[in-house]
Amino acid sequence: MIDKRLFKLPKAKIMLAMLAGLMFLQAFAILGQGIFLARAIVGSWKRQSFANIAEDVLTFLIFYLLRQGINWFQKWYMNRYANQTTALLRQQLLNKTYNGGIALVSRIGTGNLVSTLLDGMDEISNYLSLIFPKLIALAIVPWVILIYIFTLNALSGWILLLVFPLLILFMIILGTAAQSKASKQYAGYIKLQNHFVDALRGLSTLKVLGLAKKYGNIVYKNSENYRKKTMGVLRVAILSTFTLDFFTTLSIAMIAMFLGIGLINGNLLLYPSLVILILSPEYFLPIRDFGNDFHATLNGKNALGQIFDILVFPTTPQENQLSSFTWNKDSVFIANNVSFNYSHIDQDHFSVNKNAKMSAVVKKEQTSADKTHTADELRNVNLKLTGFQKVGIIGPTGAGKTTLMRILAGFLTPHLKEDNFTINGQNLAQLNQKNWQNQITYIPQDPFMFATSIKENLTFYNPNASQKEIDTALKATDLNNFVASLKDGLNTRIGENGRGISGGQKQRIALARAFLAKDRKILFFDEPTAHLDIETEYELKEPMKKLMENHLVFFTTHRLHWLNDMDWCLVIENGEIVEQGAPSDLAKNGTLFKKLTQPLKEDLL
Amino acid sequence: MMNKKFSWKHEHWVKPYLAKYKWNFLLAIFLGIIMFFCGGALMFYAGYTIDKAATRPENILMIYVPIVLMRAVGIGRPLFRYLERLVSHNWILRVTSSLRRRLFYIAEKNTSAVGSAFQTGSILSLLTDDIGHLQNLYLRTIFPAILSYLVGFIVIILIGLFSWPLAGIIAILLIMELILVPFFSLLKQTSVRSKEKKEKAQLYTEFTDQVLGAGDWKISGRKDAFFNQTKTTLKSLGKHEKKSGKFDWARDFVLEFIFGLMAVAILYFTNKNLTYNQEAANYVGAVVLALFPLSDAFIPVGQGIEEWHTYSDSVKHLNELTVPENHLPHQEYLNPVFAGTLKATDISFTYPGEDYPIIQNFSLTLKRGQKAALIGPSGAGKSTILQLVLGDLKPNTGTVTLDKINVLSLQKERSKLFSVLNQEPFLFNTTIYENLKMANPDATADQMMEILEKVQLADFINSLPKKLDTEVAEAGARFSGGQKERLSLARVLLQDTPIVLLDEPTVGLDPLTEQKLLNLVFDVLKKKTVVWVTHHLQGVKYMNEVLFFKDGKVTMQGNPYELFEHNEHFHQLYLMDQGLI
Repeated sequence: MIDKRLFKLPKAKIMLAMLAGLMFLQAFAILGQGIFLARAIVGSWKRQSFANIAEDVLTFLIFYLLRQGINWFQKWYMNRYANQTTALLRQQLLNKTYNGGIALVSRIGTGNLVSTLLDGMDEISNYLSLIFPKLIALAIVPWVILIYIFTLNALSGWILLLVFPLLILFMIILGTAAQSKASKQYAGYIKLQNHFVDALRGLSTLKVLGLAKKYGNIVYKNSENYRKKTMGVLRVAILSTFTLDFFTTLSIAMIAMFLGIGLINGNLLLYPSLVILILSPEYFLPIRDFGNDFHATLNGKNALGQIFDILVFPTTPQENQLSSFTWNKDSVFIANNVSFNYSHIDQDHFSVNKNAKMSAVVKKEQTSADKTHTADELRNVNLKLTGFQKVGIIGPTGAGKTTLMRILAGFLTPHLKEDNFTINGQNLAQLNQKNWQNQITYIPQDPFMFATSIKENLTFYNPNASQKEIDTALKATDLNNFVASLKDGLNTRIGENGRGISGGQKQRIALARAFLAKDRKILFFDEPTAHLDIETEYELKEPMKKLMENHLVFFTTHRLHWLNDMDWCLVIENGEIVEQGAPSDLAKNGTLFKKLTQPLKEDLL
Repeated sequence: MMNKKFSWKHEHWVKPYLAKYKWNFLLAIFLGIIMFFCGGALMFYAGYTIDKAATRPENILMIYVPIVLMRAVGIGRPLFRYLERLVSHNWILRVTSSLRRRLFYIAEKNTSAVGSAFQTGSILSLLTDDIGHLQNLYLRTIFPAILSYLVGFIVIILIGLFSWPLAGIIAILLIMELILVPFFSLLKQTSVRSKEKKEKAQLYTEFTDQVLGAGDWKISGRKDAFFNQTKTTLKSLGKHEKKSGKFDWARDFVLEFIFGLMAVAILYFTNKNLTYNQEAANYVGAVVLALFPLSDAFIPVGQGIEEWHTYSDSVKHLNELTVPENHLPHQEYLNPVFAGTLKATDISFTYPGEDYPIIQNFSLTLKRGQKAALIGPSGAGKSTILQLVLGDLKPNTGTVTLDKINVLSLQKERSKLFSVLNQEPFLFNTTIYENLKMANPDATADQMMEILEKVQLADFINSLPKKLDTEVAEAGARFSGGQKERLSLARVLLQDTPIVLLDEPTVGLDPLTEQKLLNLVFDVLKKKTVVWVTHHLQGVKYMNEVLFFKDGKVTMQGNPYELFEHNEHFHQLYLMDQGLI
């Protein structure tokens, strides 16, 4: 029911001790409140004047306020604790993101990670600041009250004591029943729940098929079906609340009856009886609170579980084994039997447990739009590259091209082996190396634009670039006219919430970024023109060729004309390099190379 | 804060549904009132029983009636609470169904048959979130507030029956508790809450930069810059949250304090007015104890009302949704079998609110069975042309006609005249059979298999254990991009319209798959009129005409074979595209 890892959070022990203290204090405030309220009532019952009971009334109010004051302080304290904890978790998560980089993000999903960092933390904060106080209150308050009641009247004490396990038992029985009913209906339930989003996403198609207008009623009908199913589940699910309430009110009624009989028989006095009556609801209050808030905090519980899981995701921090160097025309790079697969953790592990929340107000399902499917295996990669070679990488979709690029850029860690790579004679197990990565520029299909000015985007690798250098880079990538046409010029904001820019311009900015990073001599292009139209591609060819001069280049592409500019080519299939050589040689002798390029020739005009 | 002033008078997403499902709502309110009444009555009778018993009546029968009543309300409270929760959830889910239908209709009017699925995706999730917020607004703010007002009102009346001065004091305290403090806190928190919202939006952007830019950050080596990215915003958000939290806790304390004052007032007045004889005095405990269970009705109102800040943006969003005014001309009928020439004459189009036209003076004539390709950068207006051709958009000048009838006059017949093959074919979460059936309700399973044979999917479908009855979701993992396109193509063939629009159906496929798909598409669509949006030159040999776009204008146009012979630029582009230079 409660994640044990919770108690391992920093400062958890101090916080628990603090809460225990507060709850003891609160329990005594509750006793005081009950005692003096009873005294005041007894005074009135004895038909004494208000002056006689005024002191009791005042003391009651003071204890009442003391209790509320403790609550106030407790909320403040727990909020502080929860915020400190989430700040720490967030920091750890960001650390993980920095170290894990693309490997982590592509495994967990960007949307998932961002929402964990933002909304997830709010939910966790809410969860922490509710769950601990409720738990500790349940562990302390009822028992202090119970002991006091025993000193007044053992029979009432026994009733309260015996009801408790009964209550828990019934809650468990009903909870299990609800769970099994829910899980039986779960498949249909989720399907109906998703139907609305499905209908909205498919609207274009519905419109094409001339069904959109009619579909509105289907949306309604499905929503109504969903309602009926939900109600079916709820009827059982909220029975546990019913039980809780039922036992509470019934035991209060029973106690009142026994107390009444005791009073008539003269075995009891009014004052202790009233105290018991007033305290009985307080005895049940913590368990009721706990039950009510339990469902409200499930999201937070799940979010926390997910963070704990992400935090154990294995990542290798950037290492500093490779000595500082600059790639030059004599540098040598060797990959020696490198293998890789995503074996660590199953991706499903990171999807939120949707079964957990059983409320009518269902939160939208996380649609993982960015589940990039990468080929998950790579076997026995052998490579030897020198100087400013230009290496084209081709192969069918899913063959492992991107995985290979990511390993070479140090984003993914291959199977551990001392000499996976050799750079200028130095053996390295992996390439997540400071002095390797500071040589790299990586340009993907859809380069990421940071939500800031064009200038800061351009100078991302080289924040100190001079205006002259920037101008040269703009000119080289044909961006100067575009920038000049903007009202705010280089200071125009792009990226999220900024000015929308086309795919071609993004690619140009990425190229200019690479132009400005003069001391980075290794270029990775991951299908840089796949999404661009032929004319834009044509226009980009010159600046890209210019950029590639005096660089070691890795270039994956489906667009075969780029191979004319490469002097080495790797052909990948099913996670293996099956052919490598100069493109002209492969065109003559490469079996797979021919298979990949030949059919396109049939398309000629 | 929104710039536009929000007015409750013209509000039309929350209020109408309160009226529409009023009986269900009133029933839930009624059950809620009974529940609180039972809760109070339980303590009332319990208090009375004890007080009465303490006077040592002759026998137990004297307290028999209150004991029976006590048991009745003791069972009543959980029972009515259970019913109230069921009814209120049922109510809110009914409202949700209506909200969803309405949202769907609005979205339907704002969606075009072609366009990027990705962009709409984020808007859609926003809209579904808004519906969720509306649910919470009903359930957590409106419902408890109305319930508490009614309970409070009844309490005042009941007390008024015995003591007017006490009723007056309780009324004043309740007004403070339920109206003054909650609304004061609502107003007071407005500015800090809107700051929090802004900072959260800012954080969202910053986190996205960190997560999506993870690779760039890593190789840039700018570790400090990475961590500083969110520091400032987090700090000031933390400050504001602390401030609003502090206020909330203080407010809750004040609410409890007012409730405590009510208890004191009742203690005072029962002492003054109910002690004239012993029988009356027996009611003192009853009246005092009956008050406490009502705190559950009164205290949460403050929090509930302040939660308006969480939902207000959603209410505003939804109220700002507009349905584009779309006056279609008189609708005409055209027999799809004889549909002939598709003609765009000198059309120009500017999106509302934009300065520059996205399409300028575009003309194109395609006789039945002819094919044209539109090529150009993203955002150049290629998809806009498709929308104009379909009649989803209305050109500012010029016309699109089919057999001299304006396409705007053919909207009722549209699904019989035009079909579309999209960039990301959408498969509904049901069986393959149902997905195909949508295209043509009269199609039989045999016809479907015949078509699937044509699009080279028959073997694949037959290899699935349930064949046509396989759920798309189950098979989803097995569908490759190319297979999805082909299934969508089967839908197009089943729809069997004379004109087919292709909106970059091969984007994201590798060249081999692309070539195979294009060969297939143009083979099965041989007799159809086709307008094809694409971004490179693979497959242009199937075209009668290619048009290159830039900045809203056609920069190059002609038959591909002729262009290759006579146009140097096209020649160069083509050679590059084919990997020949």
